[in-house]
Amino acid sequence: MVGHEDSGASKKKSTDSSNDLPTFNAENLQNNTKIIYYSRTFLSIIGGVIAGILGYTGLTGFVFYFLIMAITSLGLAAKAKFSIHSYFDCWNRLLLDGFLGGLLSYVLFWTFAYDIVHIF
Amino acid sequence: MSFGFMIGVFGVLILAHAAYSTIQYRSLLKILEEEFSGLPMNVVGELLLGLVFCMWAALTVPGKFLSILPYSEENRIVSLPDNLDFMVFNHRGKVFPSKMDLKLKR
Repeated sequence: MVGHEDSGASKKKSTDSSNDLPTFNAENLQNNTKIIYYSRTFLSIIGGVIAGILGYTGLTGFVFYFLIMAITSLGLAAKAKFSIHSYFDCWNRLLLDGFLGGLLSYVLFWTFAYDIVHIF
Repeated sequence: MSFGFMIGVFGVLILAHAAYSTIQYRSLLKILEEEFSGLPMNVVGELLLGLVFCMWAALTVPGKFLSILPYSEENRIVSLPDNLDFMVFNHRGKVFPSKMDLKLKR
């Protein structure tokens, strides 16, 4: 019965002492980053299907991808209630992480949907 | 299944329906031998609606953001150890007035 009750979420990660937020809960940060990744991947796929159905070709399709990613960033910032520092360590992690990661999935589903709808 | 997941499935179904009506529109244009210039407005509206539903699902289904501040209420690191072996009461602390606001971590 010597089980010391200590939850695993209490792992800390410390940056150097000149920062004003020296430690934060790394497991929750990883959870938040995973949520961002899932959201962006799903919306890349959905955006690809929509671009294929709309019949965008060439540069317009890529512009549409960046538009979808910008709206996703806005939605994620709204989900974090715009108080970024209680959920992430910096703004770039929310806004730019995974920004280009969904591009290949987007192009795949874009060409797939375009072929199904417009060519066959 | 949760409500957000249902919204996401519904959004995907709306997109599938929009794709099907676009296919029908294209075959209609092939029959009439006209150029494909743009989609009819109701298909565009349907795509926008599907996008809104899928975006709502993508933002709510994966889970909530958890706070990373070490001092927030749900990140309590200090907790009273609740194993019986260490619960002794006849120690030097008995001369101090007892604190009544320590909380057990649930």
